[in-house]
Amino acid sequence: MIPIQHFLVLGAILFALGVYGVLARRSAVLILMSVELMLQAVSINFIAFAAYLAPQEFRGLIFAIFVITIAAAEVGLALAIILRLFRNRATANVDEVDTLRW
Amino acid sequence: MVGMEHAWLLPTLPFGAFVVLLLLGPYLPRRGDWLAIGAVAASFVLFAFMLADLLGALDEGHFEGVSSGIDWLRFGTFHVTLGFLFDQLAAVMLAVVTFVGTLIFIYSTGYMKGDPRYGWFFAAMSLFVASMVTLVLADNLLLLYAAWEGVGFCSYLLIGFWHERRSAAEAAKKAFITTRIGDVGFLIGIVLLWREAGTFNIREIFEFAEAGGYSREYLTLAVLLLFAGAVGKSAQFPLHVWLPDAMEGPTPVSALIHAATMVVAGVYMVARTMPLFDLADPIALNVVTSLALVTILMSATMGLVATDIKRVVAYSTLNSLGLMMVALGSRDVTAAMFYLFVHGFFKALLFMAAGNVIHGTDRQEVTQLGGLAAKMPQTAAAFGVGALSMAALIPFSGFWAKDAILHGVSTHQNALVTALVAFSAFLSAVYMGRLYILTFTGRPRDHHAYEHAHEAPPNMLLPVLVLAAISVVAGFWTFDAVGEALGFPGSIGKFVFFEEPEELKFPSAIAVASIVSVVVGLAVAGWAWWGEARPARVLGERFRPIYQLLWHKYYVDEAYQWVIDRIVLALGRVIAWFDRVVVNDTGVDGTAGLAFFTGFELKFLQTGRLPNYALAIAAGALIAAAVLLAVRV
Amino acid sequence: MEWAVFATIAVPVGTCLLLMLIPYRHDEQVRYLPVPKLGPLPDRLPLSGRYLVRYLCLLSGTALFALSLAIFVAYQFEDGGYRYDLRLDWLRDVAFLGDRGISFHLAVDGITAPLILLTGIVIFTGVFISWNIDYRNKDYFVLLFLLVSGVYGVFASLDLFWFFFWYEVAVLPMYFLIAIWGASTNFGNFVRTKEYGALKLVLYLVAGSVLIFIGIFATFVEAGLGTFDLPALQAVAYDETFQKIFFPFFMLGFGVLAGLWPFHTWSPDGHVAAPTAVSMLHAGVLMKLGAFGILRVGMALMPEGAHFWAPVMMTLGVTGALYGAVSALAQTDLKYMVGYSSVSHMGYVIMGLASMHEIGINGAVLQMFAHGVMTALMFTNVGALYDQAHVRDMTIFGGLAQRMPRHAAYWAAAGLSSLGLPGLAGFVAELLIFVGVFRAGYPWAGALGILAAAITATYILRMLARAYFGPFNERWNFLKEMRPGEQFGGAVLVFFLAFAGMWPFPFLERIAASVKNLPGISQ
Repeated sequence: MIPIQHFLVLGAILFALGVYGVLARRSAVLILMSVELMLQAVSINFIAFAAYLAPQEFRGLIFAIFVITIAAAEVGLALAIILRLFRNRATANVDEVDTLRW
Repeated sequence: MVGMEHAWLLPTLPFGAFVVLLLLGPYLPRRGDWLAIGAVAASFVLFAFMLADLLGALDEGHFEGVSSGIDWLRFGTFHVTLGFLFDQLAAVMLAVVTFVGTLIFIYSTGYMKGDPRYGWFFAAMSLFVASMVTLVLADNLLLLYAAWEGVGFCSYLLIGFWHERRSAAEAAKKAFITTRIGDVGFLIGIVLLWREAGTFNIREIFEFAEAGGYSREYLTLAVLLLFAGAVGKSAQFPLHVWLPDAMEGPTPVSALIHAATMVVAGVYMVARTMPLFDLADPIALNVVTSLALVTILMSATMGLVATDIKRVVAYSTLNSLGLMMVALGSRDVTAAMFYLFVHGFFKALLFMAAGNVIHGTDRQEVTQLGGLAAKMPQTAAAFGVGALSMAALIPFSGFWAKDAILHGVSTHQNALVTALVAFSAFLSAVYMGRLYILTFTGRPRDHHAYEHAHEAPPNMLLPVLVLAAISVVAGFWTFDAVGEALGFPGSIGKFVFFEEPEELKFPSAIAVASIVSVVVGLAVAGWAWWGEARPARVLGERFRPIYQLLWHKYYVDEAYQWVIDRIVLALGRVIAWFDRVVVNDTGVDGTAGLAFFTGFELKFLQTGRLPNYALAIAAGALIAAAVLLAVRV
Repeated sequence: MEWAVFATIAVPVGTCLLLMLIPYRHDEQVRYLPVPKLGPLPDRLPLSGRYLVRYLCLLSGTALFALSLAIFVAYQFEDGGYRYDLRLDWLRDVAFLGDRGISFHLAVDGITAPLILLTGIVIFTGVFISWNIDYRNKDYFVLLFLLVSGVYGVFASLDLFWFFFWYEVAVLPMYFLIAIWGASTNFGNFVRTKEYGALKLVLYLVAGSVLIFIGIFATFVEAGLGTFDLPALQAVAYDETFQKIFFPFFMLGFGVLAGLWPFHTWSPDGHVAAPTAVSMLHAGVLMKLGAFGILRVGMALMPEGAHFWAPVMMTLGVTGALYGAVSALAQTDLKYMVGYSSVSHMGYVIMGLASMHEIGINGAVLQMFAHGVMTALMFTNVGALYDQAHVRDMTIFGGLAQRMPRHAAYWAAAGLSSLGLPGLAGFVAELLIFVGVFRAGYPWAGALGILAAAITATYILRMLARAYFGPFNERWNFLKEMRPGEQFGGAVLVFFLAFAGMWPFPFLERIAASVKNLPGISQ
């Protein structure tokens, strides 16, 4: 059987990639995708723990399904916002969107 | 029958008159002056009955005075019983207050006639008499202090009676504040005495002190603080500056408050508490004597050059107050009270006669008077009696009293003190002679004033003449025969005394020396100021610096003014500036400013850029994780 | 009587609500109602929203005065305990609260009885003084009565939660009262705007509240009774270290409101900005809340802590007394002078409390009453002059006593009480404080306090000599005597000053009965 550490390392790598993407990317769309990556990394952890620690129960799996559902909703919402932003500003570059400052 | 137990009526009558005049004054006929006069005269009559009662009690044997009181405050360990104590000391003082008071009230109906605040004058004078009587009768230091402040307040009101005049307003303020400085010590002294004894009652404090309740140093400190009050009220050096200025008040006020009664309250208080002074370190009485000597010499010399007729009389009052204090410094209560008694008459007489001059001529500078004896003969004669009494020429009353003081001083103090007191007798003869000569003899200096001068109306003349008669005879109380004829146990020394009744002592050496110095003094005055007063002018020119020094009253006022302007007010301004600039603008506004500044600077962290926030969140999460790990390990 | 105590809070709150119902327009027409002629009173009564507001306030103020007087007179003082106990449960048996929990608990004892009377006197006269306020007078009176309800609430509350609640109710309306109806003044080298005064006052007092809040919660947790009920909390013996740590929270928190040096600067600036009646309430009553809080909450809960901190408190009190007096000496603005004089006199109160001695504390409570009445009278006078002359600089007046003799007489009465003239209330109170301070072993403090009283005489008499005596300055020809309403208010205040000065027994027997029940007081 594959030890749990493999899944956890995979989750960590995915999460780190996501963090890097969020921090480094300028395009709002790519940042959104990076956030999705982080969410999926969490889902992997949930599923791995569920399968290894309490195989009879489904709580971890349910959480993963929740995450997927919310991610879908979030994408719908976030893409709508990004679209509106692009319509108004003709850009999706988050560095140029800084009206909410002092 | 009215007796000593009715002492409470004495202050109540004038106080009632005050209340009625204050509320209903304008609606009463003659603005109610008759009410005020009636009240103070009734007090005098009442006093006469009480005195008869007291003498009866004295005949029956040893007598300590009668006291009665009511609970004023009572809680926990704190009891204050306010009561009245009528004894020989109080009787002497009350005789002056009520009798001279009555005469001065009558005199005022003439002097204050036509004044727009005529009714208010009598109201305030009534309040003064009520406070003064309370002061005299108080059997405890707290009531004494309350009345003490009360008379000070009335003095403030009456000095500032003509408050339209800037000088009167300033003089009133000065009098109140100066005496108040002494009262700081007085109140601290009272509280110190209470702190150990647990009572304000004077007799209980005496008992406590005699039982050794106070340590010697503590008691010395306490009585010196008490004396500070007397220094303020009785205008002793260095708090004497208010009394000459107080002459801004109407003349009846000067006569009653600043000659006969209030200013001697300090003397009375020291006489009252003499057992404490006696138990304290001798240094206390030495302080009393020294300050009194300075006062005597300063006032006598200043009297030589002053030109305002009332001011000269005021300097003579300072002189007299110093004499009484010297007597007290020598533990001679009898002499002090004797002098206080006769001084009340002849000093009121001097002021009222001077008031007649002012009333008749509308001038009060002697440089504008002169030759008035022809125009106002009775006043001139009365003034002469007063002046000779003040100068202490035999057989006027001042002589006997001053002789008693000189005798007391010579037995208790060293020769230098005696010599200085005797010298002051010479000086007082000189300046009283000068005042009389300049005012009533010689050529008129202001013809307009002289032409219009007229003798005073009867209601002003009669009190003056009565007082003049009394000033001649009052001193004879020094003889046993006179005292016994009047129903007293004998001479004044057997009526008012400290510890033991005193026999009449009349050492001829002192009497002769005193008479000689007075005669020489009067002769010097006559030589210097009679006629054209050339010798005086020459002397003034020759000793110009001394003349200037005396004219400027030893620069004491200037020194105080400097201290007030440059130190007290400057300190006030510094503190006010400190409060505004340092405490408020720096401390308070600074704190607010710091908060504002911090917020202002920190707001720039809010860049509005998503990546910055994301970076901060990630960094924060990492730090949190690291801290958690570190804590776990 | 329980309900009389309740009514002292309910009446002002009800007045606020009723006032809000009165229709009111700025351009309203005044109509007149003819009434039978009665002596000097006018024969027709103006009727409009503006006047209805005044009539209602007069009614309510009179009612409060009568209620306060009744409570003061009726208080049975033999053992000095709490009387007219009224306890309505509000919140209990939830979360951290026990079965007593938070209750609306009112009662009166000998210390609060005179203070309740004081509040009644000040609001009663305050209505007369505020009679001529024209600008938005409905809003003004709503806030004024809200403030008064808070003051009554603090004095009567025996539950720390409600105590704190009413405390805030008493402070916060000040902001609007000063910022809207106040006055800005240019002093030449600096300016004090009404907004500044209002903001500083409220921020300062709220900062003090934070300390009080911490102290209350610390006590709540330490006692572990699950209740804010003051008598219950007083029954607990707190750890000595706890007391030493938390007494300063009360001392400083309430001290801010009591004008404790050096946290006093909100007070003179607040006075300068505030309208007359607000100054009266502010110095007359509000500052007393602070001293009362130290006594009722701080010293009653933590006697050992108070004992530990007493020397500090004494030092601050004496400093305040002297510092305030000397500062007042240098002021030329009448309100600043009175403001600093309040700081000075509250310094005496702090001294009396810090003596931790029966006589001193009696004096302190009496001084709260005496100073409240006296300073209300002073502000009445300042207001009467300022309303006409629109300046308060004493140096530019002169000889006003000739023009306004009664006004000058009222000034003299207030000033003489302030400098401790026997026969007026200030003397008795200050004497007791000094005596207590001497007895408690601080003779230096007592001596300095007496010196401060002499300085008080100096600045009062200096002001009178400058502004009221001397030759009349013709420039002020247009000034008239005080309005009849102001004169009446002044007469009421003078009456109480003289009464408490000549016959302080009714006050002191009530105060003393309760003071002796305080823990940790030396006899």
